[in-house]
Amino acid sequence: MITIALSKGRLADRTLELLEAAGYDCSMAKEDSRKLILEDAAAGLRFIMAKPADVPTYVEYGAADIGVVGKDTLMEENRQLYEVIDLGFGACRMCVCGPEKLKGNFNRIPNKRVASKYPNITRTYFEKTKRESVEIIKLNGSVELAPLIGLAEVIVDIVESGRTLRENGLDVLEVIADISARLVVNRVSMKMKAKEIMPMLDAIRAQLGKDKE
Amino acid sequence: MSNYRFHTPDGLSDMLPEDCAAKRKIEKKLRTLFDSSGYQEIETPGIEFFDVFACGKFVSQENLYKMTDQEGRILALRYDGTVPAARLAATVLKDHPVPLRLSYVENMYRFRESGGGRQREFAQAGVELLGVSNAQADAEVIALSIASALEIGLTDLQIAIGQVDFFLGLMEEWGIAGEEADLISKLVDRKDSVMLEKMADRLNLDERDRETLLMIPTLFGTYETIDYLWERVRGDRARAALTNLRDVLETLEDYGYLKYVSLDMGMLRSLEYYTGMIFKGFTHEVGFPIISGGRYDRVMSVFGRDLAAVGFSIGITLCIAAMHRQGRAYARKATDAVIGYDNEPGSRKKAIEAARVLRKKKMKVILDCAGKDEKALGEYAKSNSIGQVIFIKADDGSCLEEETEEK
Repeated sequence: MITIALSKGRLADRTLELLEAAGYDCSMAKEDSRKLILEDAAAGLRFIMAKPADVPTYVEYGAADIGVVGKDTLMEENRQLYEVIDLGFGACRMCVCGPEKLKGNFNRIPNKRVASKYPNITRTYFEKTKRESVEIIKLNGSVELAPLIGLAEVIVDIVESGRTLRENGLDVLEVIADISARLVVNRVSMKMKAKEIMPMLDAIRAQLGKDKE
Repeated sequence: MSNYRFHTPDGLSDMLPEDCAAKRKIEKKLRTLFDSSGYQEIETPGIEFFDVFACGKFVSQENLYKMTDQEGRILALRYDGTVPAARLAATVLKDHPVPLRLSYVENMYRFRESGGGRQREFAQAGVELLGVSNAQADAEVIALSIASALEIGLTDLQIAIGQVDFFLGLMEEWGIAGEEADLISKLVDRKDSVMLEKMADRLNLDERDRETLLMIPTLFGTYETIDYLWERVRGDRARAALTNLRDVLETLEDYGYLKYVSLDMGMLRSLEYYTGMIFKGFTHEVGFPIISGGRYDRVMSVFGRDLAAVGFSIGITLCIAAMHRQGRAYARKATDAVIGYDNEPGSRKKAIEAARVLRKKKMKVILDCAGKDEKALGEYAKSNSIGQVIFIKADDGSCLEEETEEK
């Protein structure tokens, strides 16, 4: 039995489609229900539906063998996991964004205040990559507000099309990383359940290869 | 001010009788096993100077529990068993003949994210084999770790063996060094094929070497993996590492333990600490390795004595959790008998005597001190699963004899 942690929504739907195409029967997970655990003993599969930020936790502790989660969450949670496949979907970028007028002279602001839903990514980026101390303000949503009302100079957030930014007079100042959905595996499961997991990884890789063509 | 008097600090918890009994039993088995192989047990202080752990960059300061002494010097709670053992071997035991075999069974303290079952205080047992740098020593330590898990009863066991020097040899061969090599080692260890591929594109490797790099994270197996890689590498260092792995496997085969092990060429871990063969042990139902070990020749030199070293530790707390979840938990042996007595003169003395006799026969006996009468004592025994009730009455002179004879 392989336990797969998914986060409800688009990511879960795309993952189930991919697994079906790769030859795994996921019909039990497709019915619209409020169940948190969806299991098919015959198929040897069990899905658990979790909050996105909790998926890496479930997998690290071995409560789930495999998880599908955005790279942004993985970077923020920084767990001990095997990050084995880039599933490609859910593509976007993690960026430093701010008012358009800061473009090009953003580095000149001393003691920046940075608002973000991702305090760990923000800290790592400014401390390790830019070697700069900043004040981080943790917000839980609508982060674009922060620079508009003077709570922070810049924000760190994921950018898909950039429309929300533009409509609020903001722009991308620096790109931190490319984001997409990743398949992660628990370090113990990779050994103890290698016979089930390795073929599944191969089947998914093969299917992704076909999709590309 | 908040009042925390009802609570234990995050990541630290009380150990209840069942778990405590299991822990003692495991500790006893491991102590006996280590001792029977000539490993001498040591105890190092629970509190060390911060510098002991910090000097070799083995531990990041965020993970140490720190405090200061009266002179303002920084102290740290015991983080692992290896670094203090290395300090000991390089100082107090520096004139001791080698090979030196040491063991420990202690609680460790690591400041890390708590919750979800990973404790900040946890028990570990382990050994250090100092002064021998060859595959036989590597294999001895791996074999002892396997024997430890088997002794505890964790028979569903997988040991993954890697070789840090193989990776470093490749980097040397390909002219990659510094931060770049460091980053690659992290990607390989995380089996992050996505980033590794991007990295490989930037590296200017020929097609065959690029292929080798990308396959390392998922190269598992035994002898055939070594044969396969032998043809793909050229440098002496990488080949020496492969020879070491072959010798380790052959020695483990002689131990009869080959079925528990497989190579994982992508397992790298801390390059600051480990210098050669490394290994981890896994079992079902716990998400973390229960065994961790390897060769760390550099650790000793940080303490001023150049001495080869190899060792392992096994997480007792994790093993208890694994036993529980695998349905193999040790049961604490219940109390065998409870003895009560009436209020007449002489009864108490007889009861004390009876308890003594039975305890000598290795029975677990409770002597009632709450003045329960015969009926209450029976109920007490029933609710505590105590098999035998003995009630001493003054007029019943033969009671003790009869009861003890029955046993």
